[in-house]
Amino acid sequence: MSISSSEQTKTPAPAGVFTLVITGAPYSSQAPQTALSFARAALAAHKRIDRVFLYGDGVHLASSLVTPPSDEPNLSEAWANFLAEHDIPGVACIASALRRGLVNETEMQRYKLSASNLRAPFEIAGLGEWVASTGSGSRLLYFHRGN
Amino acid sequence: MNTLIIIDQAPYGSWEGREALDMAFSLAAFDQPVSLLFCGAGVNWLRKGQNAAKVQQKSVERNLAAAPIFGVDVLLAEGKACHQYGLTKSDLLDHVSITDFGSDLTDRFDHVAFAG
Repeated sequence: MSISSSEQTKTPAPAGVFTLVITGAPYSSQAPQTALSFARAALAAHKRIDRVFLYGDGVHLASSLVTPPSDEPNLSEAWANFLAEHDIPGVACIASALRRGLVNETEMQRYKLSASNLRAPFEIAGLGEWVASTGSGSRLLYFHRGN
Repeated sequence: MNTLIIIDQAPYGSWEGREALDMAFSLAAFDQPVSLLFCGAGVNWLRKGQNAAKVQQKSVERNLAAAPIFGVDVLLAEGKACHQYGLTKSDLLDHVSITDFGSDLTDRFDHVAFAG
Protein backbone atom coordinates (compact mmCIF):
# COMPACT_ATOMS: atom_id res chain seq x y z
CA MET A 1 0.00 0.00 0.00
CA SER A 2 1.55 3.28 -1.01
CA ILE A 3 -0.87 5.71 0.56
CA SER A 4 -1.72 6.10 4.21
CA SER A 5 -5.15 7.64 4.07
CA SER A 6 -7.11 8.56 7.14
CA GLU A 7 -10.18 6.53 7.98
CA GLN A 8 -12.97 6.88 5.48
CA THR A 9 -15.63 9.01 7.09
CA LYS A 10 -18.09 9.11 4.21
CA THR A 11 -18.91 5.43 4.39
CA PRO A 12 -22.64 4.69 4.36
CA ALA A 13 -22.37 2.39 7.38
CA PRO A 14 -23.52 4.27 10.44
CA ALA A 15 -24.98 1.28 12.26
CA GLY A 16 -21.77 -0.63 12.89
CA VAL A 17 -22.37 -3.43 10.42
CA PHE A 18 -19.22 -4.90 8.90
CA THR A 19 -18.38 -7.17 6.01
CA LEU A 20 -14.89 -8.64 6.26
CA VAL A 21 -12.89 -9.53 3.16
CA ILE A 22 -9.87 -11.73 3.89
CA THR A 23 -7.31 -12.01 1.09
CA GLY A 24 -4.26 -13.12 3.08
CA ALA A 25 -3.67 -16.86 3.54
CA PRO A 26 -3.36 -18.50 6.96
CA TYR A 27 0.22 -19.41 7.94
CA SER A 28 1.61 -17.09 5.23
CA SER A 29 0.11 -13.91 6.58
CA GLN A 30 -1.40 -12.53 9.75
CA ALA A 31 -4.60 -11.51 7.93
CA PRO A 32 -6.90 -14.32 9.20
CA GLN A 33 -5.88 -13.82 12.86
CA THR A 34 -6.19 -10.04 12.65
CA ALA A 35 -9.61 -10.40 11.05
CA LEU A 36 -10.74 -12.86 13.72
CA SER A 37 -9.55 -10.57 16.50
CA PHE A 38 -11.42 -7.70 14.86
CA ALA A 39 -14.56 -9.79 14.47
CA ARG A 40 -14.52 -10.86 18.13
CA ALA A 41 -13.95 -7.27 19.26
CA ALA A 42 -16.75 -6.02 17.02
CA LEU A 43 -19.27 -8.49 18.46
CA ALA A 44 -18.10 -7.71 21.99
CA ALA A 45 -18.85 -4.05 21.23
CA HIS A 46 -22.36 -5.02 20.03
CA LYS A 47 -21.56 -4.43 16.37
CA ARG A 48 -22.65 -6.85 13.69
CA ILE A 49 -20.65 -8.88 11.16
CA ASP A 50 -22.83 -9.25 8.07
CA ARG A 51 -20.61 -11.81 6.36
CA VAL A 52 -17.02 -12.87 5.79
CA PHE A 53 -15.79 -13.12 2.22
CA LEU A 54 -12.62 -15.07 1.39
CA TYR A 55 -10.84 -13.92 -1.74
CA GLY A 56 -7.51 -14.71 -3.40
CA ASP A 57 -5.17 -16.58 -1.06
CA GLY A 58 -7.69 -16.04 1.73
CA VAL A 59 -9.69 -19.04 0.47
CA HIS A 60 -7.13 -21.40 2.05
CA LEU A 61 -8.79 -20.54 5.34
CA ALA A 62 -11.81 -22.61 4.30
CA SER A 63 -9.88 -25.84 3.79
CA SER A 64 -10.87 -28.82 5.91
CA LEU A 65 -7.40 -30.31 5.40
CA VAL A 66 -5.46 -27.68 7.34
CA THR A 67 -3.44 -29.61 9.93
CA PRO A 68 -0.93 -27.49 11.82
CA PRO A 69 1.37 -28.91 14.53
CA SER A 70 -0.47 -29.48 17.80
CA ASP A 71 1.14 -26.49 19.51
CA GLU A 72 -0.08 -24.07 16.82
CA PRO A 73 -3.63 -22.76 16.47
CA ASN A 74 -5.80 -24.29 13.76
CA LEU A 75 -6.93 -21.07 12.13
CA SER A 76 -9.42 -22.74 9.78
CA GLU A 77 -11.08 -24.48 12.67
CA ALA A 78 -11.07 -21.33 14.81
CA TRP A 79 -12.76 -19.34 12.04
CA ALA A 80 -15.27 -22.10 11.26
CA ASN A 81 -16.22 -22.35 14.94
CA PHE A 82 -16.60 -18.59 15.22
CA LEU A 83 -18.84 -18.40 12.15
CA ALA A 84 -21.01 -21.31 13.30
CA GLU A 85 -21.31 -20.01 16.84
CA HIS A 86 -22.48 -16.59 15.71
CA ASP A 87 -24.40 -17.70 12.63
CA ILE A 88 -22.31 -15.52 10.31
CA PRO A 89 -22.10 -16.55 6.63
CA GLY A 90 -18.58 -17.35 5.41
CA VAL A 91 -18.20 -17.31 1.64
CA ALA A 92 -15.18 -18.32 -0.45
CA CYS A 93 -14.98 -16.86 -3.97
CA ILE A 94 -15.47 -19.69 -6.43
CA ALA A 95 -12.85 -18.55 -8.95
CA SER A 96 -10.20 -18.03 -6.26
CA ALA A 97 -11.13 -21.35 -4.64
CA LEU A 98 -11.07 -23.55 -7.74
CA ARG A 99 -7.72 -22.12 -8.83
CA ARG A 100 -6.22 -23.08 -5.47
CA GLY A 101 -7.73 -26.53 -5.11
CA LEU A 102 -10.50 -25.70 -2.67
CA VAL A 103 -13.74 -27.41 -3.74
CA ASN A 104 -17.08 -28.42 -2.33
CA GLU A 105 -18.93 -31.58 -3.34
CA THR A 106 -20.78 -29.87 -6.18
CA GLU A 107 -17.56 -28.67 -7.78
CA MET A 108 -15.90 -32.02 -7.12
CA GLN A 109 -18.58 -33.70 -9.19
CA ARG A 110 -18.67 -30.99 -11.84
CA TYR A 111 -14.92 -31.25 -12.49
CA LYS A 112 -14.68 -34.98 -11.73
CA LEU A 113 -12.15 -34.44 -8.94
CA SER A 114 -11.04 -37.10 -6.48
CA ALA A 115 -12.02 -35.26 -3.31
CA SER A 116 -13.65 -32.19 -1.82
CA ASN A 117 -12.21 -30.15 1.04
CA LEU A 118 -14.50 -27.25 1.92
CA ARG A 119 -14.91 -26.90 5.67
CA ALA A 120 -18.43 -26.22 6.99
CA PRO A 121 -19.96 -23.70 7.50
CA PHE A 122 -18.00 -22.05 4.67
CA GLU A 123 -19.75 -21.91 1.32
CA ILE A 124 -18.51 -21.31 -2.19
CA ALA A 125 -20.13 -18.55 -4.25
CA GLY A 126 -19.37 -16.03 -6.96
CA LEU A 127 -18.02 -12.51 -6.72
CA GLY A 128 -21.62 -11.32 -6.94
CA GLU A 129 -21.76 -11.91 -3.18
CA TRP A 130 -19.02 -9.34 -2.71
CA VAL A 131 -20.67 -6.95 -5.17
CA ALA A 132 -23.87 -7.21 -3.14
CA SER A 133 -21.90 -6.36 0.01
CA THR A 134 -20.51 -3.18 -1.57
CA GLY A 135 -24.07 -1.96 -1.94
CA SER A 136 -25.47 -3.37 1.30
CA GLY A 137 -24.73 -0.46 3.60
CA SER A 138 -22.24 -2.46 5.63
CA ARG A 139 -18.68 -1.24 6.00
CA LEU A 140 -16.23 -3.40 4.07
CA LEU A 141 -12.89 -4.07 5.72
CA TYR A 142 -10.08 -5.78 3.83
CA PHE A 143 -7.51 -7.98 5.53
CA HIS A 144 -4.57 -8.32 3.14
CA ARG A 145 -1.28 -10.13 3.53
CA GLY A 146 0.59 -6.82 3.73
CA ASN A 147 3.97 -6.30 2.14
CA MET B 1 -22.15 3.03 -5.07
CA ASN B 2 -19.06 4.21 -6.93
CA THR B 3 -16.00 2.00 -6.43
CA LEU B 4 -12.28 2.60 -6.99
CA ILE B 5 -10.07 -0.49 -7.20
CA ILE B 6 -6.37 0.26 -6.72
CA ILE B 7 -3.60 -1.95 -8.10
CA ASP B 8 -0.21 -1.06 -6.65
CA GLN B 9 1.78 -4.14 -7.63
CA ALA B 10 3.67 -4.90 -10.83
CA PRO B 11 1.98 -7.36 -13.20
CA TYR B 12 3.03 -11.05 -13.42
CA GLY B 13 4.63 -11.23 -9.94
CA SER B 14 1.49 -12.27 -8.06
CA TRP B 15 -2.16 -13.02 -8.71
CA GLU B 16 -3.47 -10.23 -6.53
CA GLY B 17 -3.67 -7.72 -9.34
CA ARG B 18 -5.49 -10.14 -11.61
CA GLU B 19 -7.97 -10.95 -8.90
CA ALA B 20 -8.50 -7.24 -8.26
CA LEU B 21 -9.20 -6.86 -11.97
CA ASP B 22 -11.81 -9.64 -11.63
CA MET B 23 -13.43 -7.62 -8.85
CA ALA B 24 -13.65 -4.59 -11.13
CA PHE B 25 -15.12 -6.61 -14.01
CA SER B 26 -17.57 -8.22 -11.62
CA LEU B 27 -18.84 -4.86 -10.40
CA ALA B 28 -19.20 -3.74 -14.01
CA ALA B 29 -21.11 -6.93 -14.85
CA PHE B 30 -23.64 -5.93 -12.18
CA ASP B 31 -23.84 -2.41 -13.65
CA GLN B 32 -22.01 -0.83 -10.71
CA PRO B 33 -19.76 2.12 -11.62
CA VAL B 34 -16.10 1.22 -11.14
CA SER B 35 -12.75 2.82 -11.90
CA LEU B 36 -9.27 1.30 -11.76
CA LEU B 37 -6.25 3.17 -10.47
CA PHE B 38 -2.72 1.89 -11.09
CA CYS B 39 -0.13 3.34 -8.75
CA GLY B 40 3.44 2.61 -7.70
CA ALA B 41 4.82 -0.40 -9.57
CA GLY B 42 1.25 -1.05 -10.70
CA VAL B 43 1.59 1.50 -13.53
CA ASN B 44 3.55 -1.18 -15.42
CA TRP B 45 0.23 -2.92 -16.04
CA LEU B 46 -0.55 -0.14 -18.50
CA ARG B 47 2.46 -0.52 -20.82
CA LYS B 48 1.81 -1.13 -24.50
CA GLY B 49 3.35 -4.17 -26.18
CA GLN B 50 3.50 -6.67 -23.30
CA ASN B 51 4.48 -10.26 -24.08
CA ALA B 52 3.83 -12.57 -21.13
CA ALA B 53 4.09 -15.88 -23.00
CA LYS B 54 7.64 -16.49 -21.81
CA VAL B 55 6.49 -16.50 -18.19
CA GLN B 56 3.52 -18.73 -19.05
CA GLN B 57 0.97 -16.06 -18.33
CA LYS B 58 -1.70 -14.30 -20.32
CA SER B 59 -0.92 -10.69 -21.14
CA VAL B 60 -2.75 -8.31 -18.82
CA GLU B 61 -2.71 -5.78 -21.64
CA ARG B 62 -5.46 -7.72 -23.41
CA ASN B 63 -7.61 -7.75 -20.27
CA LEU B 64 -7.18 -4.02 -19.85
CA ALA B 65 -7.85 -3.29 -23.52
CA ALA B 66 -11.21 -5.03 -23.01
CA ALA B 67 -12.06 -3.04 -19.86
CA PRO B 68 -14.20 -0.39 -21.59
CA ILE B 69 -16.15 -3.12 -23.41
CA PHE B 70 -16.96 -4.77 -20.09
CA GLY B 71 -18.10 -1.48 -18.58
CA VAL B 72 -15.07 -0.50 -16.48
CA ASP B 73 -15.45 3.22 -16.99
CA VAL B 74 -12.09 4.69 -16.17
CA LEU B 75 -8.46 3.52 -16.15
CA LEU B 76 -6.23 5.86 -14.17
CA ALA B 77 -2.43 5.96 -13.84
CA GLU B 78 -0.64 7.74 -11.01
CA GLY B 79 1.41 10.50 -12.64
CA LYS B 80 4.27 10.36 -10.14
CA ALA B 81 4.73 6.62 -10.62
CA CYS B 82 4.63 6.99 -14.42
CA HIS B 83 7.43 9.51 -14.14
CA GLN B 84 9.38 7.20 -11.82
CA TYR B 85 9.15 4.34 -14.33
CA GLY B 86 9.88 6.56 -17.32
CA LEU B 87 6.42 6.11 -18.81
CA THR B 88 4.91 8.85 -20.91
CA LYS B 89 1.38 9.01 -22.29
CA SER B 90 2.53 7.41 -25.54
CA ASP B 91 3.90 4.35 -23.68
CA LEU B 92 0.52 3.69 -22.05
CA LEU B 93 -2.62 2.03 -23.36
CA ASP B 94 -4.80 4.44 -25.31
CA HIS B 95 -7.70 4.94 -22.92
CA VAL B 96 -5.63 5.67 -19.77
CA SER B 97 -5.84 9.00 -17.93
CA ILE B 98 -2.94 10.25 -15.80
CA THR B 99 -3.89 11.58 -12.38
CA ASP B 100 -2.58 12.57 -8.96
CA PHE B 101 -3.20 10.02 -6.22
CA GLY B 102 -4.51 11.44 -2.97
CA SER B 103 -7.63 12.16 -1.01
CA ASP B 104 -8.90 14.52 -3.73
CA LEU B 105 -9.21 11.42 -5.89
CA THR B 106 -10.37 8.83 -3.35
CA ASP B 107 -13.00 11.21 -1.91
CA ARG B 108 -14.87 10.97 -5.21
CA PHE B 109 -15.65 7.29 -4.49
CA ASP B 110 -17.96 5.60 -1.99
CA HIS B 111 -15.81 2.51 -1.77
CA VAL B 112 -12.05 2.16 -2.23
CA ALA B 113 -10.28 -1.21 -2.24
CA PHE B 114 -6.62 -2.12 -2.67
CA ALA B 115 -5.60 -5.23 -4.61
CA GLY B 116 -3.68 -6.73 -1.73
